[in-house]
Amino acid sequence: MLGYILRRLGVTIVLLFLLSVLTFAVYLKVPANPAGFLVDVQHSSPQQIAEAEHRLGTDRPAVVQYVKYMQRALHGDFGISWATISFAFGGEPTGVPVGRMVWRAALVTGSLVLGGFILLLLVAIPLGTYAATRPRSFTDRLTLGIAVAAISTHPLVVGLLLQLFVGNRWKLLPASGYCTVSRPSAAAVEQVRRFAPTGTPLPCGGVGQWAWHLVMPWFCFALFFIALYMRIVRARMLEVLDEPYIRTARAKGASELRVIRTHALRNAIAPVVTMVAMDIGMAIGIAMYIETVFGLPGLGRTMIRALAGFEGYDLPVILAVTLVAATVIILLNLVADLILLAIDPTVARKRGRGLSRLVGRTA
Amino acid sequence: MAVANPSRTPVLARDDDGLESARPQGQWALAWRRLRRDRIAVACGVFLIVLVFAVGPGAPLYGKLVGHGPNDLFPYAVSVGLRPAGPFTVTWATSEVAGDDPFAFTHPPPPQGTPKTLLLLGADSQLGRDEFLRILYGGRVSLEVAVGAAILALLIGVVLGGIAGYFGGIADSAISRLTDLVMAFPLLLFLVMIGSLFTHGLTEWTFGGLLNRGVFQLILIIGLFTWFYPARLVRGQIQSLRGREFVEASHMVGASDARVMRTHLLPHVVPPLLAYGTLLVATNIMIEVGVTFLGAGIKLPTASWGSLLAQTWGSILNPTAYNPATTQPWLTICPSVAIFLTVFALNQFGEGLREATDPRSVR
Repeated sequence: MLGYILRRLGVTIVLLFLLSVLTFAVYLKVPANPAGFLVDVQHSSPQQIAEAEHRLGTDRPAVVQYVKYMQRALHGDFGISWATISFAFGGEPTGVPVGRMVWRAALVTGSLVLGGFILLLLVAIPLGTYAATRPRSFTDRLTLGIAVAAISTHPLVVGLLLQLFVGNRWKLLPASGYCTVSRPSAAAVEQVRRFAPTGTPLPCGGVGQWAWHLVMPWFCFALFFIALYMRIVRARMLEVLDEPYIRTARAKGASELRVIRTHALRNAIAPVVTMVAMDIGMAIGIAMYIETVFGLPGLGRTMIRALAGFEGYDLPVILAVTLVAATVIILLNLVADLILLAIDPTVARKRGRGLSRLVGRTA
Repeated sequence: MAVANPSRTPVLARDDDGLESARPQGQWALAWRRLRRDRIAVACGVFLIVLVFAVGPGAPLYGKLVGHGPNDLFPYAVSVGLRPAGPFTVTWATSEVAGDDPFAFTHPPPPQGTPKTLLLLGADSQLGRDEFLRILYGGRVSLEVAVGAAILALLIGVVLGGIAGYFGGIADSAISRLTDLVMAFPLLLFLVMIGSLFTHGLTEWTFGGLLNRGVFQLILIIGLFTWFYPARLVRGQIQSLRGREFVEASHMVGASDARVMRTHLLPHVVPPLLAYGTLLVATNIMIEVGVTFLGAGIKLPTASWGSLLAQTWGSILNPTAYNPATTQPWLTICPSVAIFLTVFALNQFGEGLREATDPRSVR
C-alpha cells in the first residue's frame, strides 16, 4: 500500500517535470521574441532589444532559464506576468504577480467546476436511481434518450445557444461576466468607474450575484457530463439491486425507499464519487470552453489570453497555469485511486472503463 | 463502409434429421446481420453516408446549381443596418452595391438585368456569403480533420499497443508508463497552446490541394494526443489472446512473430477498433470545433464548423457585443444543428457497431 502510494507520487513528479520541460520547449520554438513585451522590436536599436532581453532574462541559455524558473516556482514565486511587466522605477520589475493571477483564476474555475459537479450529482444520482428501479419503462428510456442526446452536444453549442437566447434575447439570466463571492470594496468600484474604458462592467459581488451569474455555466457543465454519470449510476444500481442483501432487506420488511436509500444507493454511488476525481482533467478542458463563452476569468481564459495576446507568448503565466492544472489533475487522480483502493483492494489493479468513458475522457 | 457482402443471406441447409440449421457464418456476416436489426444504428449509418456525399461531391454540385461558391460576397444579402439575411433569401448575385448614399434606408436596386440567386440558409456574416454552402464546405474540413486524426491515432495505437501487448517485458512497461503519463495531461490546454502558437510551416501542407490549409497540422496534433486510448484497448486485447491455444499452435508450426500478429491476432482487434474509431471521429469533431473556436485551429477564410460558430460570436480577445438589430440567431443555430446531428449519428452508429461486432452481446 505504502509502496504503491510512493510509486504513484514518483510518477507524479516525473510527469510534472516532463510537462514543464515540454512547455518550455514549446516556448523555445515560438518565433516571437519576448523582448516585444518591453520594446517595439521593429523600431528599436539592437542595444535596446538586447537590454530588454537581459531584463527579462531571456538572453541566457535555455537550461539556465529553466532551472532558475523552477527554483523560484518551487519556492512559490511564479514571477511577474510579462504582459504587465515594467522596469520603470530604478530597474526593479513591477507588474501583476503570476501567483496571484493564477490563484484568482483558479477560484473562478473552481467555483464553476465544483458547482457544476454538485448540480450534476444532484440530478444524475436521483435520475439514475429512478431509472434503475423501473428498468425498460418509459421513464427509463426517456432518461437514457436524453442522456444520449446530451453526450452528443458540444458544451460550446449549448453555451452559445443559451447565451444567445436565455441571456441576450430573453434577458432571463446574465449573459456573461463573473461576480466574486466577497463584495468588492467601494474603492475598487470607484477605480473601475473612473479609469476603466467606457463599457467595462462594474465589479459586482455577493453570494447571490455570484450564483446568479454562474447558473448558465453550471447548467452547461452539468449537461455535458450527465449522460456518463447517469449511465454509471443506473448500471451500478441494477447490479446492486440484484444482490442477496437487498432481498434480505426487503424480506425483513424494510420499505422500498429505505432499501434504495440505505442499502442500495450507498453501495452504488461509492465509485461515482471517485469518478468525479478522475474526470477533473476533462472538466478543466470543458471549463475552458464555458469560461470563454460566458466571459469568466478562469484558468482556461487566462491561458488563452496569455497565448493569444498581442505581444506574444506570456511564458510565466502559461507555465504556471499548465503546472497548476496538471498538479490538481494528477493529485485528484491519485486521491481517486486511493479511495478505490480503500473501498476494494482488488479494484486498483484493473480500472475497467467502458468505451464511452474512454471517448468521453478525450473530449 | 464495406463491412460485409450484403447479398449473402444465411443459407439454410437440411440436416439428416430434417431440421433446418444455418450454415456457419463469418464474423462479418454475423455482425452485419446484427447491425441491420438495430434500426437506430441503420438510420444513423444512412445519415452518415448522405452526409459524406453532401459535403464531398455535394458541395460543389450545389454550388453549380445555385451558381456561386462558398467565398462569394453578396452585399445585397446584408441590410443597411448590417444584419445578415435569414434563411430562404433570394438576393441579387452581385458583389457590388449600386450607389453609395450613406443615409439610405435600403440598398438601391442594382442595374437592370442583374441575375438573382438563392441563399438557402441566408448570409453568413456582414460579408454576405452563402451560409448553407459554407456549412457544407465547413463540414468537409471538419470531417477531414476528424477522420484523419482518428486514423492516425488508430495506426499509432495499434502499432504501439500491439508491441506492448505481444512482447510484454520492457517494451510493455515503457509503453504503459508513456500512456499513463500522457493520459494525465491537460489535453485541451495543450492542444490550444500548440495550435495557437504554430501558425506557419505545417499549416501550409495541403498535399497538392487535397486538404485545406491548417487541416494537416490539426490532424497531427489531435492524432498525436489521442492514440493512448486505442493503444490501451489493443494492448489489453492482445495480452489476453497471447496465451491462447491457437497462438501457441501457430508458433509450433513455425509462424514468425510478425505473421502471428498479422494473421492471427489482428483480426480479433479490428472489430472493437472499428467501433472505437467511429466514436473517436465523433470526439474529434468536438475537439476540432472547440480548438477552432478558441482560435487555435482552422484559420479564416476557410470555413469549418468551429470557425462558423466563432465568426458569429467574435474572437476571444474581442467578443462581438449582442445587438438585437444586427445579430442573426440562425447563424448560431445552423452550425450547432449540423454539429449535433453529426456527432449524434456517429455516436449511435459506433455504439451499434460495437454491439454488433461483439460476439458476446446478446441481442
